[in-house]
Formats: sequence, structure tokens, C-alpha cells
Amino acid sequence: MKSSLTIHKVIVGLLVIYLLIPLVGTFLFSIAGKWDHTILPESYTMKWYIELFQDERFYDAFRRTLFLIVMSVGLSVVIMLPTIFIITVYFSKWEGLLQAVAMLPYGIPPIVGAVGLIKVYSDGPIQIAGTPWILIGAYFITILPFMYQGIRNSLRTLNAVQLVDAAELLGATKFQAFRTVVFPNIISGILVSTLLSVALLFSEFAFANLLVGGRFETLQIYLADKLNSSGHLTSAIVITYYSMILLLTGTVLKLTFRNEKYPVVSNKKRILSFFRKQYSHKNTTLEGEK
Amino acid sequence: MSYVTIDQVTKGYENQVVLNDISLVLKKGEFATLLGQSGCGKSTLLRSIAGLEDVDLGRILIDGKDITNLSPRQREVGMVFQSYALFPNMNVFDNIAYGLKMKKIKNIKSRVKKMIEMVDLIGKEESYPHQLSGGQQQRVALARALVMEPKVLLLDEPLSALDAKIRKNLQKELKRIQKELDITTIFVTHDQEEAMTMSDRIFVMNKGQVVQSGSPSEIYTSPVNTFVAKFIGNYNVCNMEAFRKLVRSTELKGNEVAIRPEVLQLVSVGEDSLDLQENWVIKGIIKDVSMTGNVLRYEVETEESVFLVDYLHHRGNMFEQGARVHILVPKKECIIL
Repeated sequence: MKSSLTIHKVIVGLLVIYLLIPLVGTFLFSIAGKWDHTILPESYTMKWYIELFQDERFYDAFRRTLFLIVMSVGLSVVIMLPTIFIITVYFSKWEGLLQAVAMLPYGIPPIVGAVGLIKVYSDGPIQIAGTPWILIGAYFITILPFMYQGIRNSLRTLNAVQLVDAAELLGATKFQAFRTVVFPNIISGILVSTLLSVALLFSEFAFANLLVGGRFETLQIYLADKLNSSGHLTSAIVITYYSMILLLTGTVLKLTFRNEKYPVVSNKKRILSFFRKQYSHKNTTLEGEK
Repeated sequence: MSYVTIDQVTKGYENQVVLNDISLVLKKGEFATLLGQSGCGKSTLLRSIAGLEDVDLGRILIDGKDITNLSPRQREVGMVFQSYALFPNMNVFDNIAYGLKMKKIKNIKSRVKKMIEMVDLIGKEESYPHQLSGGQQQRVALARALVMEPKVLLLDEPLSALDAKIRKNLQKELKRIQKELDITTIFVTHDQEEAMTMSDRIFVMNKGQVVQSGSPSEIYTSPVNTFVAKFIGNYNVCNMEAFRKLVRSTELKGNEVAIRPEVLQLVSVGEDSLDLQENWVIKGIIKDVSMTGNVLRYEVETEESVFLVDYLHHRGNMFEQGARVHILVPKKECIIL
């Protein structure tokens, strides 16, 4: 029994090392001064990070990426949330069709999708090929499965149809029922879908490169460009990027975990208390520093 | 004077008729039960009254007003769902106050407080649904519906998810509150015992139609057809030809005969005290004995069919499995179908 446990631990340990070595290596390379013939760097420096954070192009790329993500995810929430709600609650027989449409992006490789989009939007009434708008459209489709599954699962877990029925019988309009009963209960589901989508879009390269490339340099395009100039700088970009993703994933996991622990507590209060906790934690640190 | 009128209501889904020309009338303050098996249309009828389902044909009137085409919020009906449908993001107070807030009614606090007292939930105002037991959640759902002072209260199998003891208590509570408020109530259940206990009137439904209506006693003692006889009271329903052979009589008419298990008597073979004037006598062998608490149920095999015989559970009533017996069938208790 004990030996089998040890074997499990060894396997898990090896897996963790296997997964972490590239990250640790990248991190060390991003802070290495000279590293040629030794196992560990001979000297350490922060100059690659300083160089990165002093580069206007990095901030521009970051801003563009953020703009694309906020627009795509925002658009997705605004369009998909009412669509999924209406289909689930009032037109359930169309649910299969919506699901099939939402899953389509999985079946189309980015290269095929990108070529098709460029062809369609190069001429005709909507000429947006090469502009960020085509990328926003492509990203909207890319994150569709995440948004659809997340929102639909939240609605199903909640038994939204019956709650809307109950609210309407108590005098609420359809919109009031959605706003006061359904939305507060699925907000954490929406948040999880949103954060997953944001994390996915942060690392998206294929569409960005094929559809807009250098004309609208995103973080990934910037990273690809820097790969050719300095390995140390590229490592610093990768670590910065990973840190952001880690922060996002951590937030998602924290919200999901709290969701499982308190399945039906007010989501509004849950999220508020989450942010309050973060705020009070920040305050405590500041007071401590004083 | 009719208060709720269901007038020739018909509803179907994709070529399947769920409600087939249903008509029924309820008096004000009446506690009526729609009783039937799963899929008989009872919940659909309830949802149609609530406005959660549209009807294809017919009219629904409450207090003389035609509500057939009104939205649920305009119908002035309250409903308690099988799964309670409490709002998870609101505590007990807010759940009960929800309807009052939506309709911008004054004195919310005092009305909610009064309702909380009525359903015995004092001290639970701040609790969220997940912090309550099934019985407490049911009380909240009831209070939430009643606080709106609806003209009709609709209950869709509200007790089916509760365990036996809590269910019995809530049955009494529900009946007490209904009488206290004198509110017209339509209760849906598939449990005939629950229907008998609570109702002033029962509507037995089968395949989208009301097959019999009446007081619990009328329904139980005078079923109009084989379905009601079998569904309502475990009646022994025997083909008339077979029954004639068993009792060696040719004077009986009809297609089938229904006899309640508790009116039959068992007598050991060899005992002479058989009242042949008042009873038919059928020979049989005890095939099985089962016990449902206070009732002993014998399965007696005869030449033509198996009869169920119910006895109150006490020492004198014990017959062994395999024992040869006579079944005494009171002639007066035979219902010809």
C-alpha cells in the first residue's frame, strides 16, 4: 500500500517537473545575464524586463490585445446571454441547433477559417479584411463554445425555466424575471466563461497573424517578432504573459471553487464579497507597510 | 355558485392530445384535487390555469372573468411547484416579498411577517433556501404564493419530494391554512391516499379526460369504471363470466365486477358458519401474505383469478400461506361495471 503510494507520488512528481522545467528555464533565461556553459546562469539581471517595460511597442501591443479581447468578449456576452436565455427558456426545441452552431468553431481549423474570412471580407459591402474588426468577428466565433456551454450549464443548473415561471406568476415581467432572478444566479457562470475566453484570446496567434498581422500588432505578434531579435527579451515577454494568464486562471479557479462550496448562495453577494476580500487584503497590506 | 370554470379545454402537442375536452366547475373555497397517473394531463391542466401553457380550445374563467388569454402575471393565481422554485439568491423574507415588490404593493413588511407567522417560519427570515429543510422550503413556497392573496391557489405535487412523516404534517398544515384563508385550491397529485385525506372534491383523470368526479367517499365507494376502481382503491376487478363461474350464479349482469379488498372475509375450510344469504362464497388458497403496517394483505388464488383480501393487523386474523379458505363476498358490496 505504502509502496504503491510512493510510486504515485513519484509519477506525479516527474510529471510536475516535466511540465515546470520549460517554465522555470524560460524564467531563468528571462533574468539571466550570461548563461552559456553552466547549468544555472552565471549572472542575473532584470534588464530584459526593464527593456520590455520601457518599450512603447509592448504597451501598444498590450493595449491592442486588450481592446480586441474586451470588444470580442463584451460583444459575445451582450449577444449570447439573451440568445441562450431566450432559446433555453422559451424556444427549447431550437436548443439543439444553437448547440450545433456554437460547436462549429471546433470543426474549422483557424487557417481554413482565416482564408475564408479574408476572401469574403476583401470586397463586397463589408470590406473589413486587414482591420481589427475582422479579428473581433473571428474571436467572437472562437469563444462561442465557451460562452455557450458556460451560460447554458448555469441556466440548466439553476432550473431557469421554472424560476421564470414562478417569477411571472408573482407579477414579474419577463425582463424583470431575468434581471432579478436569473441573472444574479448565473453571474458567476458568465464570469467563469468570460475569464476562460479572455485567457484563450490572450494566447491566440493564428487568426491575429493571418487576418491582420503587423497592421494591428497584438501581444502574440509582438512576441513572434521579438523571437527573431532577442531570446532573453522573448522569455521576459513569455513570463509576463504567463503571469497574466496565471492571474486569470487563479481567479477562475477561485470563483469555481467557491461556486461548488456554496452552490446556491447569492452570486451577487459572492462576487461582491470576493472583491471586498481582495480590497480588504490590499488595505491590510498597505496598513502593514505603513 | 361556480368560482373556477374550465370549459371544454383541449390541448395537444404534435398530434398528441394531452387535455381532451375537459370541463369542470369549482365552488369558492373548495379544495379540489386532480388525481391521476403520470402523463394523464393533470399538471398540464394546472399549468394551463396558471397561464404557463396555452390551450388550443376552450375557456378558463375565474370569478366570472375569462382569463384564457391573459398572461400569468395578470391571472391572480398563486402556484406552488413540485421543486418549490425558490429564488436561490434571495433569503426567506425576500422570496416571500418578491411578488409584493413586483406589484409595488404597500405594507410589504407587515404582510410578509404575517405570512411567516402563518407558515411557522419565525426566525428563518434571513435564511437562504439552501439552508432550509425540504419542509421549510415548501412552507416558504406556500407563503410566497399566499402573500399575494390569489383568487386560486394551484399546488403541483408540492409534497411529493418530502419524506412520509413531514408529508403527513404538511398535509394537515396545508388543509388548516386553506380553511383559515378560505382560498379555492386546486391540488395535483398521483397519490390517492393524499387526495382522499385533503380534498373536498376529487377529479380522477386518465388520458387527458376527467373520468370521475365526486367527494373522496363517493369516488372510493362507487368507482364508475375499471380504471378508477383499480387506481383508487386496489379493487379486485374480475371478469363477469369468470365471477359467475366462481360463485355459480347466472343472475349477475355487466362486464366486470369490482370488490374492495377490505369487504372480503376469509373463513377456514371446514367452518360451518357461512352466511350464504348475504354472501357469495369462493374457494381459494392463500398464495401470499404481505404486511403494510396496520394492514395484512392476503393474495388468495381461486380457480379463475387472484383476489386481494385486506385485514386489520391483529393476532386473530392470521392465516398461513398455503391454507385452504373460503372467501366471503358480500353481495351488497359487489359493484357491477
